[in-house]
Amino acid sequence: MDTLKKKFQKLATQHRKAFIPYIPFGFPTLSLSRQIIKTLDSCGVDVIELGMPFSDPVADGPIIQKASVTALNRGVTLKLLLENVRQLKKIVSTPIIILTYYNPVYRYGLNRFFTDCAKSGVSGVMVVDLPIEEAKEYVMCARARKIDTIFFVTPTTDTVRAKKIIKMSRGFIYYVSVAGITGPKTIVMKPLLDHLSLMKKISHLPVCVGFGIHSRQQVRTITRQSDGVIVGSAVVDYIERHYRQPDFLKKFSAYIKQFYV
Amino acid sequence: MKVPDSKGYFGRFGGKFMPETLVFCLAQLEKHYRKIRTSRKFRQELGYYLKEYVGRPSPLTHAVRLSGQLGMKIYLKREDLLHTGAHKINNTVGQALLARYMGKKRIIAETGAGQHGVATATVAALFGMECDVFMGEEDIRRQRMNVFRMQTLGARVIPVSSGTRTLKDACSEALRDWVSRVKDTYYLLGSVIGPHPYPMMVRDFQSVIGQEAKRQFRQKEKRLPDYLVACVGGGSNAIGLFYPFFNDKKIKFIGVEAAGEGFFKNSHHSASLVRGRIGILHGTKSFLLQDAYGQISEAHSVAPGLDYPGVGPEHAYYQQIKRAHYVAVNDAQAIEGFKLLSLCEGIIPALESSHAVYYLNIMAKKKANRNKKVILCLSGRGDKDLEIVQEWIR
Repeated sequence: MDTLKKKFQKLATQHRKAFIPYIPFGFPTLSLSRQIIKTLDSCGVDVIELGMPFSDPVADGPIIQKASVTALNRGVTLKLLLENVRQLKKIVSTPIIILTYYNPVYRYGLNRFFTDCAKSGVSGVMVVDLPIEEAKEYVMCARARKIDTIFFVTPTTDTVRAKKIIKMSRGFIYYVSVAGITGPKTIVMKPLLDHLSLMKKISHLPVCVGFGIHSRQQVRTITRQSDGVIVGSAVVDYIERHYRQPDFLKKFSAYIKQFYV
Repeated sequence: MKVPDSKGYFGRFGGKFMPETLVFCLAQLEKHYRKIRTSRKFRQELGYYLKEYVGRPSPLTHAVRLSGQLGMKIYLKREDLLHTGAHKINNTVGQALLARYMGKKRIIAETGAGQHGVATATVAALFGMECDVFMGEEDIRRQRMNVFRMQTLGARVIPVSSGTRTLKDACSEALRDWVSRVKDTYYLLGSVIGPHPYPMMVRDFQSVIGQEAKRQFRQKEKRLPDYLVACVGGGSNAIGLFYPFFNDKKIKFIGVEAAGEGFFKNSHHSASLVRGRIGILHGTKSFLLQDAYGQISEAHSVAPGLDYPGVGPEHAYYQQIKRAHYVAVNDAQAIEGFKLLSLCEGIIPALESSHAVYYLNIMAKKKANRNKKVILCLSGRGDKDLEIVQEWIR
């Protein structure tokens, strides 16, 4: 399969950067969340990062916390998410990656999880609270099913450790823009760009940046030194504020496209 | 075997399941802690504050009337007599000294009932540090007096409105704050939970309970006890009592969890070891209250300090290797325990400790336990719970 690798190779030959929106599955409703995924696919985003909500999301700010509660109240489970992805992948060609916390995956069973990911056509997985030291079995299971393992590198990660993380990663590296939680914020660009240029030197994988990104201007600046951006809270916030309106999906499409650089 | 191992594991439990941003902070914390734990200067300083400020050693009181009534020889390890009224201060003094040594200017903490928050606010005032305590909105409503105590001590109490608005959410919020301000902030975790090195560090600081109890018991009885009994929420007072006796294999450890409303369909409780399943929460692998899909359930106990949906990984390990036995006592029984100790000994116990007190009743029913010698950890005093008990009786 190797869809992320192909995707980034294609982007590189076109001199384009990846735009990766994050949406929690089941938010704001199950059916609307399916439509949102289809919309993202048709408006040409490069990868869709689908969140499996968790009851105790320690790395997330208020926007995603609230959306997670909504989604969980709709009855979202990992099983339901994977079944939906399997259905959607029949018509959605954009690679889908899953972002979650470790407990739902652990409960599901690592082997079963990656087997079902492969069956559903999931390209990659990232788990917020699973650092590389705890991820040996996880990585083994993922490799056996050819699912990409995406790990995080942050401003507090030193170079030696970053190299270890890169070694265990497949697909791309998720670079966390600032030490903190998710949610729109002002990002001081100079240190970020310095870190990114260092990352580019040591990483053979594409580097995408997430956390805090909410404006086109930020995307422009950050993609100068990276292979793509992930926009989460801002997208979720947009959905929260607009999904009740008529032509929501059309407006949403326009909102997403304004980030393309 | 010495636990935890270098990766923070107690057998198959424990570990460091944390977002990457915090990996560096945890490594720093562990490095500093390992350096000072054996340093003479630190040990002297800690010893000084424990004696002169906290009021250690705490007495080991022979509960004469209770012993007579139950037919066992019962000693109470009096953590209720410490400054701030509970064992929590043993840990906060230790960690605050560590924070000072690390050059941190600001301390944050999570609190449920407010006991750990008060103990943290206390040491922050003592050492002149800025202190923010995260507390669920629901708990703030239930524990107004403790909120005011913390504020009086100069701490800011930050309401947490996410999730179930209780301890677990306060813990998540403290972690979020720490991630965002790692440079100047020290996260002072209050129990033997969380990512490594916290379960080890908090255990070490609480072990003073068991060390003293062992020495005191030997002096009084010229031997070792048959049983150690303590309540278990996260499990810090219990591990503090148990750990120094780990190698005395003949001594039986009993950890008493909160069965809350009882074990019925849709009933709420906090008995993670007795009724939970293995999972990962707040950085550690242990037994948790969770649904079939890995979402964390709400915990409940009449004792505010016990309602956490997880438990320390070292307890999970003790249960697995059968070093300790874990049982559960429900809300109504805990209230019985509360009354029992108040009437028999003139000691009003915290509702947390009351769970352990009640379990003595059950032990006493077994003939084999006749005249057995027991140390019970009286982890805190019950003044804070009077309102709850009053409401319960009504």
